[in-house]
Amino acid sequence: MSVTVVPWWAAAVAVTAATAAVASLWLFGGSGKRGKGDAEVSSDSDADTSVPELDVVGSSSSFFHRWDPRCKILSLVFFSFMAVSLNHGFELGVGLAVAAGSLVVAGTPLRAAVRRLSAMSGFLLILLVIMPLTVPFHEGDRRIVLEGVPFLSFNARGFVLAGRICAKAVIVAVLMEPLLKTAPFSVTMAAVQRLGVPVLLCQMILLMYRYVFVFRHEMQRMWVGMTVRGFRSRSGWQTLGHLGCFLGMLFVRSMERTQRVYEAMLCRGYTGVFPSTVRFCATPRDWAWSALWVGAALGLFALDRWQGAVARLLGF
Amino acid sequence: MHLSDGVLPTVVAVGSFAASGLCVAVSIKKTDGEELPKIAVMTSAFFVASLIHVPLGPTSVHLLLPGLVGILTGWSAFLSIFLGLVLQSFLFQFGGLTALGANGLMMGLPAWFAAWLFRRIGARGATGAVVVAAAASAAAVALAALILAALLATGGEDFFGVAKIAVAAHVPVLVVEGVISAFVVSFLLKVKPELLQHPAGRPSP
Repeated sequence: MSVTVVPWWAAAVAVTAATAAVASLWLFGGSGKRGKGDAEVSSDSDADTSVPELDVVGSSSSFFHRWDPRCKILSLVFFSFMAVSLNHGFELGVGLAVAAGSLVVAGTPLRAAVRRLSAMSGFLLILLVIMPLTVPFHEGDRRIVLEGVPFLSFNARGFVLAGRICAKAVIVAVLMEPLLKTAPFSVTMAAVQRLGVPVLLCQMILLMYRYVFVFRHEMQRMWVGMTVRGFRSRSGWQTLGHLGCFLGMLFVRSMERTQRVYEAMLCRGYTGVFPSTVRFCATPRDWAWSALWVGAALGLFALDRWQGAVARLLGF
Repeated sequence: MHLSDGVLPTVVAVGSFAASGLCVAVSIKKTDGEELPKIAVMTSAFFVASLIHVPLGPTSVHLLLPGLVGILTGWSAFLSIFLGLVLQSFLFQFGGLTALGANGLMMGLPAWFAAWLFRRIGARGATGAVVVAAAASAAAVALAALILAALLATGGEDFFGVAKIAVAAHVPVLVVEGVISAFVVSFLLKVKPELLQHPAGRPSP
């Protein structure tokens, strides 16, 4: 087993770089979150979590905007599943390049993608720290020891495993932007429905999507009311008690609203299905692009699994 | 904690999608057809509630709510939670697209468990109901942690360490969740007890 001793300054540089990277993710992704006007209240409010919208952003008409939504969803979801099955650095790199390229082509705002990445960053960072410390040592693993800290030894294989997971998570997260932000959400859900997901589930998701914004607004109004009356969120029993009542009130109000919403839907002739005006028309071009994506995903997967065989075939 | 993409082996991810699909089907079957739009709107409320951060020492935790969703919606809880997770993944990337099935199992099964526990031994006097609700919520979080650990462990020996730490990280969440649920249920008992008597998704008698 080989041992590498890392001098403390190198470790310090690595930790600082990682902290800076995550901090910049948070700052860049989060700075557009709050309007200037409500910063006064929001700074203290833990209930303030803005909800991004899933809609066409801007008026761009990229390849992803013109692609038939059914073909787009099928291709990108298939690509995601293939991407999470990859195991080697080179193929994951290609996957990352494809994802980044798609983001650029789709032209969706970079900030939204960064927010997705920063939402995952906590989980992934924990993996990056824990896995090298906990992965058991096998024959041939490299042991990394910090200079002056002999009791902590990192397993290099743990870093590789965690890095692989990070790459996969980033690929899928970045692909979510072209997947969801290049068509109105109702069109996306209609396409999902045509792909065989029960109409019932799609309609429930559409309803939920609409009422999340309503309830968030309601919650924020209640929160402002609590703050004005002197509530501050701190650790302790009192806060938990107040938050419990807050949630209870939120539930009571939303259940009552649920009942009214349902009755209003019935009044307007709801029979269990929303009428949809979305029409899809896939051209051979759309299918060809889908075939290309699926083919690329399968190719990448095959290359990943039979890397040695491919190399031998090509005469390396 | 929601699993991100790429943590689970693909076979497990696809398999848990199938299992989640089955549970969603059962959940729909057990829900009155007319109540489904109501469940959707209620799920939005749970979704919004889960965005609240509860301060805990130097950090904060966000509520998972499997227990409360189970207590309030009964059999429909799995459906509600699964759809909530879908939207959470679409909007925030909390939980990956390919890990949706696994995340659904991890939160949905505990919700059913909490619902069962609450119906089974709850509702004998106000204090009893509050205590049972707290216990059911805490137990639901514990169960979620165990399912998470089991799913992580399918990745092989390398993931055992992460699984153990993930379970340990759920202990403070479990306490907060139990206490909050107790307060919510005691509030609902005073304000709108019928919400607790007939879980949504069944026609009220």
